[in-house]
Amino acid sequence: MKKRVWTQRFFSPLCFLFLALIISFLAGQQFSRQRQPEPIYPSAGLTAQKKLSDYFPPISGTAGDTEVYIFEGQEAGGHVLIVGGTHPNEPAGFITAVVLTENISLKRGKVVIIPRANASAFTHSDPQEGSPQRFGLATPSGPRFFRLGSRLTNPVDQWPDPAIYINPSGQKLSGSEVRNLNRCYPGRPKGLLTERVAYGIMEVIRQEKIDLGIDVHESAPEYPVINAIVFHENSSELAALVSMTMEAYGFNLRLEASPPQLRGLSHREWGDAAGIMAVLLETANASHGRLKGRPSPALVVEGKDKFYTQAARLGRLFVAYPESGLPLKERVARHLAAISSLFQGVEEIYPEKGLRVEGIPEAREVLEKGLGAFLHPPKEASQKP
Amino acid sequence: MRIFYWLLVLYLALNLVLVLFRDKKPWNQAAAALVLILFLLRLFLIQ
Repeated sequence: MKKRVWTQRFFSPLCFLFLALIISFLAGQQFSRQRQPEPIYPSAGLTAQKKLSDYFPPISGTAGDTEVYIFEGQEAGGHVLIVGGTHPNEPAGFITAVVLTENISLKRGKVVIIPRANASAFTHSDPQEGSPQRFGLATPSGPRFFRLGSRLTNPVDQWPDPAIYINPSGQKLSGSEVRNLNRCYPGRPKGLLTERVAYGIMEVIRQEKIDLGIDVHESAPEYPVINAIVFHENSSELAALVSMTMEAYGFNLRLEASPPQLRGLSHREWGDAAGIMAVLLETANASHGRLKGRPSPALVVEGKDKFYTQAARLGRLFVAYPESGLPLKERVARHLAAISSLFQGVEEIYPEKGLRVEGIPEAREVLEKGLGAFLHPPKEASQKP
Repeated sequence: MRIFYWLLVLYLALNLVLVLFRDKKPWNQAAAALVLILFLLRLFLIQ
């Protein structure tokens, strides 16, 4: 009798407790997986692999520390920094940096690549957006999966946001921009995590004696600065030359001068604070636009969205949006063509700062063969979705 | 600092377990279990 009462009294609480433990375990696994960065397999041309903390030690052990890949030729030439993953919800920026890291080698000059500039922002996705956590790219040996992150640093790593953010350049911005890496330049050595990451990148620029900085992004198709190169005034000649070269590749590249009043952005502060040539590249990404339909890995990779096609038909976009969409391979091909053009342009304008880079996939090849043909094959368990 | 945070979450999680066992209504127990999931995640510092 007593045993029966005990069973009646404790059966359902124990069931619920067990259920809570199971759900916590499963949810915990999923959360933890977001913290594991996918492997990047640098090409044989890699000369050194460092961390951001090697340039700015206080970032060591924090969620802001990230990989820095260095490719250096035997002959002296220009030094270029390529930054991807400033905004991890703009996948073409990150994937372009990965494709370059896995393919290039240098004969002359130096290329420094930071594929996951805001490493913390890769560990979560934008709330209330229903964004997929990952997307896969088919390679000849099976799919390789990559994280789709957020525009902003994970609040777990930097919290709370102020009501108004005054960035290191003194500009007042909305509070959440305190976690936007591309509003925090030139950073603060003793500031918040995102500001320290920005400061670390400035240290890379200073210590590697960078001549040209390229920040690779995407924007929503309804945003006016699209399929564009945003340039600091010290890079206007280079940007104009690149725009013309891009015509030869079959890409129209809009020229956008960096507004001197808009502070905290890479194309402004890299030029002002470090004195280097600074440009930012943009392509059209439907997966983080406001007009998109259901977000999915297919939308990220194929860029096909009927609402954007309709918006384009109504003339509401700043870019042509065909029914076939704007696939990731096209957006990455565009970035690769722009980066090749920038290398050519630097050599033409400043012969002593020229680079000889081999292995950059040609835009035409990327469009024909797809991105998977230029990515290292996936390795076992780390590539599970 | 982290240990204080952890102790606070542990205290609240234990309270939720007590609620789970004290309350006799299954819906209340389910509600406590749902909230407990969030506290368990924080307890193990899963972010």
